Amino acid sequence: MNKIRITEYLDIDLSNERWCCNRCNYELNSARDNYKKACLVTERNMAEVHPPMVEGEAFSFMPDSDYCRLIEFYCPSCGTMIENEYIPPGHPLTHEIELDIDVLKSRYAAAGDTAK
Amino acid sequence: MSRISYSRDEEVVQRMRPEPMTETEKNAQDQIDDVEFEIFKHKMHMIGLEGKETTMKLGASTAMRFGDVAFGIFTAQGDLSVCATGIYHHAVLGQIPLKYIVKHWVDEPSVGVSDGDSFFYNDPYYAGVHNADMGLAVPVFHEGRLICFIGAAVHTGECGGSEPGGTVTAAKSKYDEGMLIPPIKIGENYQLKEDLLNMFAAMNRDPRTMILDIKARLAATRIAQRRVLDVVEEKGADFVIGGLRKILSMTGEAARKKISQLNDGIYRQPRFLDTLGEDNGLLKIDVTVIKKGDKITLNLENSSPMLMDRPANSYYQGVVGLAMVYFCGWLFHDIPTNNGLLEAIDWKFPDGSFINAKGDVATSIAPLVQITFTHGMFQCGARMTYSTMPDRSVASWFSGFSIPTFGGLNQFGDPVADITPEINATGCGARVDMDGVDAAGAFFATMADCSDVETTESDRPLLYGFRNFFSGSYGHGKQRGGAGLGFSLIIHDTPFFMMGSHGGGSKFPTTQGLFGGYGLPSLFVRKVSGSNIKALMGNSDVSLPNRLSNVYDGSNPEEGKVSFANISSVVSPVRDGDTYSSYAGGGAGLGDALERDPISIMKDLINGLVSPWAVRNIYCVVYDEDSMRLDRIATEAARLEKRKARIASGIPYDKFVAEWEKQRPPAEILTYYGNYPNPGTKALEA
Repeated sequence: MNKIRITEYLDIDLSNERWCCNRCNYELNSARDNYKKACLVTERNMAEVHPPMVEGEAFSFMPDSDYCRLIEFYCPSCGTMIENEYIPPGHPLTHEIELDIDVLKSRYAAAGDTAK
Repeated sequence: MSRISYSRDEEVVQRMRPEPMTETEKNAQDQIDDVEFEIFKHKMHMIGLEGKETTMKLGASTAMRFGDVAFGIFTAQGDLSVCATGIYHHAVLGQIPLKYIVKHWVDEPSVGVSDGDSFFYNDPYYAGVHNADMGLAVPVFHEGRLICFIGAAVHTGECGGSEPGGTVTAAKSKYDEGMLIPPIKIGENYQLKEDLLNMFAAMNRDPRTMILDIKARLAATRIAQRRVLDVVEEKGADFVIGGLRKILSMTGEAARKKISQLNDGIYRQPRFLDTLGEDNGLLKIDVTVIKKGDKITLNLENSSPMLMDRPANSYYQGVVGLAMVYFCGWLFHDIPTNNGLLEAIDWKFPDGSFINAKGDVATSIAPLVQITFTHGMFQCGARMTYSTMPDRSVASWFSGFSIPTFGGLNQFGDPVADITPEINATGCGARVDMDGVDAAGAFFATMADCSDVETTESDRPLLYGFRNFFSGSYGHGKQRGGAGLGFSLIIHDTPFFMMGSHGGGSKFPTTQGLFGGYGLPSLFVRKVSGSNIKALMGNSDVSLPNRLSNVYDGSNPEEGKVSFANISSVVSPVRDGDTYSSYAGGGAGLGDALERDPISIMKDLINGLVSPWAVRNIYCVVYDEDSMRLDRIATEAARLEKRKARIASGIPYDKFVAEWEKQRPPAEILTYYGNYPNPGTKALEA
């Protein structure tokens, strides 16, 4: 077993240094790159996730689209939402996990095996 | 010769980590047996806990009574060795005022540090958070030798600023913020100086609470002083000096060992704040956490510039303090809480940034700035720990504030100025293996409590219309965030009263989800002036809202002039019968909502903890509305359709980014942001 669990929905296969979907094993991209680059991406209509409950007011339960948008990242194979981001319009999407793959490999090599 | 320059001491605030070990400390701790040390450590912690409880029992302010208390035992050099608190930032900030006292007053003939003295401080430049956090410390002498200090830091909710309630939302500079007192001696020979207490009372809208809180801190420290001296009598002064230092040393070693178990890498979470003070605008804290070997470095370069005429600034030490709320409570939960933890943490703050305030700028809403950062720390921490310590990987608790502030006369005609305590009942973030706990507390004050409503009503001119779980307060997910509290306040029995609100997240939610879980909705204040609520209550109208969702579902019979306000609002006059409603946020969700167990969703629905709308639209659960019976097959089909729809609507990353990065927020909300998207602030080279 060469896969290391990294997050709820992401594994890294150390044998080929690839990100994989934990749910369907779909191979995403290089573990040295941003996994989001291999996801399908959507900007959600905020009202479909956070309905305002108050109509026509400057303040409601729905975030202000001038300030905040909701971006979702899906596994292209099984459609699992791997991650989402609340982010201002146009702000670069976040490269949130950049692991030192060489250290990771040496750590698990030293441990003698990997864990799923 | 005096070493005071009548200006801020920029050197002492850099000394957050433990001082170099003295020969005495080294020799003393080398003599301590391991078993004796364990007994000593436990004894000191019990003394600290007793001090914390005593402070709470004797205090008067809302926060003190309900646990916003840090009680500590410091080394003779001022490092905080033992700390009883859930307010973990004080565990790494409390040492700064003590080091100031050691540096400036021990050898100063006009002040000095002697047996029976007591010192007070609340300038956030030294205490680190905001000036509502006030501290008192006493030295402990044995046979003329300084052994240690004991201190209590507690939030007292009124500071004499230009607005009541400890927060000056419209502050333009620090001179609007009221009392900003560097460490001063307020007592000698076991007596407080009445002339100084009289001065504090004169500077404060709520003198009764101010003075009672000072005396509560002092009484608790004196009890702890006796307990420590009992140990000194039994074990010897060197044993206690060495033991306190040994706790600090082992803490740093344990923290480094724990960090070394995590995967090396870089973890990022840019954070956005929508609040400048009384107005909205966008600010950025660029949180980058670098984990390498046994060290973690926080790099906060590229955060927005300092605000010259708004209070959304923080001193750097306050941000480091709030980082330790994450570390103490989550990653290092099994390691003592003291500033020895900082041996494992490094930091890089940009010069000229709003998270590294200098000069006379206002910092009155610094706590909001700091917890905006902390949310980024939680997100990075969750991603950093999932692989090797999954039980430590949690979604964030509510990471904003939603705090009613008030000032005026209470039902007995006495002046009051403070906050109400709902912020101590926010929801936990979801965990990998369970939902977040409902109304659990505050992530920065995990031992605090939100008080019974009757207790708050007893000396504040307020009635609660309701206060209970709000189904719209938390983030959805495979594991949902814990619910926060929705509440309604009715102004009652007062000739003069003002209310405002402290918080953020009316435009950009403060709390994001994790691993595909959702964050929180935005939050705001609903006000009704000239409300008919008391007439409806007098008629026992059963349709009155009994939870926040009823206020918005069309069933609310309340009438009056309704307005919706920013959660960050300056106090304004209110009249008897006016109402104010809002919510303290819940926790963030973790994981894809389509994976949530439908049975759990139905239980939440029956218990009013999730809305029918969310059940259908977020969780894609199908059920019979009359029988409340779950249709498993239809639910599985609906969820499969949702996944297919995601795949059909999703766009490849590069194509999405090409269109996405053409967008930009309106210029008027970027006035204080700096360059967009990267503000461009940098750390000064050492």
